[in-house]
Amino acid sequence: MRHPTWLLIPAAVVSTAAYGTTYLSLEQAQATIFPGAQLTAAFVTLTKEQAAAIEKKSGVNVRKNEVKLWKSSDGGYFIVDEVVGKHEFFTIAVGLNADSSVKQIEIMDYKESYGYEVRNEAWRKQFTGKTSAAHLRLTDDIKNISGATLSCRHVTDAVKRLLTTYDVALKPG
Amino acid sequence: MCRRARPLLGTLVEIGACGPDASAAIEAAFMTVREVHRLMSFHEADSDVSRINQAAAGLEVCVDPHTHRVLRFARRMSAASRGIFDVTIADVLVRHGFLPPVAPRVTHAVEATWADLDVLDGSRVCWSRPGCIDLGGVAKGYAVDVAIEVLHTYGSAAGIVNAGGDLRMFGAPQPVHVRLPESPGSLVALGHFNDCALATSGSYFSGRGARGSRHEPLVSRDRRICAAMRESATVVAQDCMTADALTKVVRLAPGLAPELLGRFDAEAIIIQGTGLKHIGTAAHDRGIGT
Repeated sequence: MRHPTWLLIPAAVVSTAAYGTTYLSLEQAQATIFPGAQLTAAFVTLTKEQAAAIEKKSGVNVRKNEVKLWKSSDGGYFIVDEVVGKHEFFTIAVGLNADSSVKQIEIMDYKESYGYEVRNEAWRKQFTGKTSAAHLRLTDDIKNISGATLSCRHVTDAVKRLLTTYDVALKPG
Repeated sequence: MCRRARPLLGTLVEIGACGPDASAAIEAAFMTVREVHRLMSFHEADSDVSRINQAAAGLEVCVDPHTHRVLRFARRMSAASRGIFDVTIADVLVRHGFLPPVAPRVTHAVEATWADLDVLDGSRVCWSRPGCIDLGGVAKGYAVDVAIEVLHTYGSAAGIVNAGGDLRMFGAPQPVHVRLPESPGSLVALGHFNDCALATSGSYFSGRGARGSRHEPLVSRDRRICAAMRESATVVAQDCMTADALTKVVRLAPGLAPELLGRFDAEAIIIQGTGLKHIGTAAHDRGIGT
């Protein structure tokens, strides 16, 4: 066995600002969660009162009043949402069954940043719902990061907010 | 390679596979990870872990074969590490706010150690003195291993599973980067790896408290408190459960590391500040290079 000695970290340190992955385009996410079903766009704009009620009930901030919602031919709902964490930005797709239980959650894309970009909407827009082919700005070199566990609390919060959004603003009747 | 990601095990789990059945293989692998999550959750009242944490001394608890495999491994690792690795530390994690006080037993200090939980044949376990366990230090690695098994079952030519930084791959060399603990937005390339697992332990995402009094969910056994350390440890091993468990031992007991890594055919990479240190040579024997 070699005697352990400290080496200097090589100069080739890269920033995670170049790190991101697109897993699913909008069409792929829809087909993954609702295979074979017809989806019809039915975007909803929340009123101020609805947004306030959702924040109060879920304890999670409502950053946007538009709900990107599709209704499925089998009675389910498909929602695309954005999750902004401390250092990360996700686009997620959430499928709800007709009884409003969670059918499936898929990460559509993930982008990591330690700069100000993650809170800048114009910057985030360039990633949302992109297909892999269109995802040209990111490097291909960083594929797998072994690291201490990154919490997915913000994704969990977003799902909680969407379930409350359903109760407050989408539930039929 | 087809890649998907879902929120599971309290983190982001990414699964990739190559082959004609890749989508079905990935879906089945996610289902298995979800099953491991359900069985080994500290939070859910009907998980195997919760049932063990409520059982009285002398009472045999039937558990799922998955849970049994993890507990049998944990016992072996505890014995090999002379108790440095120990899953019966849930009370300490509750006291430091890393876990919720879900069961009455976890709200006060518990004397029991790993040696008090007998792992019996026939998927049963039994406390000789009641304690409380948390499998957070090993279940994520195990979930990665079973997801990899599922990809193999589906005949995937190559695959990778990454559960929030604990990862394992087969079939094709994969580049792996690791974060610098003092600047987690900066990555350093470790090289290309194949047919092995890597896990990293560091406090940069999991720590609590202000700088100076920061603790992480890593329990120092003799002092029964959460540790506070600045370096990160990455372990390369044949399976991810071994790698996951060894990261804790390497950080808590560096003196034991060379012997223990050798016994489990593993290697460690310690990163502190701008320095990097290799312990053991096993990974190089697997033909890993940059």
